[in-house]
Amino acid sequence: MFYDLHIHGNPKLALQAQKMGYCGVSLVLNSKDYNDKSALIQDVKSFKSHLQHDTNFQISLGLEIQAKNPADLKKQVRKFRDKVDVVLVHGGDLKINRAATEDPRVDILSHPYRNRYDGGINHVLAVKAAENKVSMEINLKYFLLTRPTQRYRVLSHFRQIVKLHRKYKFPIVITSDADSIYDLRHPRDVIALASCFGMTNDEAITSLSSTPQYILTRNDIRDRTILPGVRLINNGG
Amino acid sequence: MKLKILPTHLREKKRYLAFQAISEIPLERDDVISLILGASGDLYGAYGTSKLGLWVVKFWKYPSSENNMAKGIIRCNRDETKSARAVIPTITRFKGKRVVFQTLGISGTIKGAITNFIKLKTADE
Repeated sequence: MFYDLHIHGNPKLALQAQKMGYCGVSLVLNSKDYNDKSALIQDVKSFKSHLQHDTNFQISLGLEIQAKNPADLKKQVRKFRDKVDVVLVHGGDLKINRAATEDPRVDILSHPYRNRYDGGINHVLAVKAAENKVSMEINLKYFLLTRPTQRYRVLSHFRQIVKLHRKYKFPIVITSDADSIYDLRHPRDVIALASCFGMTNDEAITSLSSTPQYILTRNDIRDRTILPGVRLINNGG
Repeated sequence: MKLKILPTHLREKKRYLAFQAISEIPLERDDVISLILGASGDLYGAYGTSKLGLWVVKFWKYPSSENNMAKGIIRCNRDETKSARAVIPTITRFKGKRVVFQTLGISGTIKGAITNFIKLKTADE
């Protein structure tokens, strides 16, 4: 049961991912592209209905929010939360990272270490992320497309995130961020690669399977959730 | 004078990784060897690579109109199977064009790898 929550919106790529052994993907759109409802989203929806007979494979719709500042982020989260299944935030800027970890409506903080010399999160953000259940993303494309001479730096960022994860218990997801077949990797290979940045076998399997699964099920019941742990149950009475 | 071959208990214990590669330009066996050893050198350096004992033992090509598929078998040390497997997803480019490697499975013998993972007859689906 492996999931990849960050694949760029092309339904054919989802089929390739299924062949490779993933049992669920989320096709992620950019917040700027969301307006063109006609093409991409209809495409994904028709593909979804086409796939109905194959019940094991889940396709969900995601959205990556690119915000200029924390206020803009809040505005966009409010706008898109009910429209898509998974909300990702394009991290990298410290203020955006902080605002994203403080918002329980955000699911995944995408590459907080992007274009930075440190991991992008510290103990303060880690505590906030654990409270609000915001997952940190380990983005394989960012690692693989970095020049080999600079890869040590990305690996050390990953290592720092894993270290904070062990202490503060915020969730981690490993995603491929693929937009072509050349970015997809076999899940077992990803688990082997995860040992390079200090994750154990179990941690890697958890971050590929049960953490994404938890994100998806939490979003299914999100509109019925009143408080964390309190849910409205409609039994007709 | 030729060296006498090592007795069986002193030989390196091996595992065979079956892989498939998809690339924009056709790959040869020599290219695959240099790609894999180069990627291992980038990831682990000379010290780490010396422990893996990597080599490409078999190679088949399946050219098609869209992309060039190839399958093959890599040999590695039995104790370092996981580290050897981690090298395979780090290969991204060959002569400036995109390439991707995927592991199909791990076997103890070449014959087992071919029958279980390469599946020579049905490979051109």
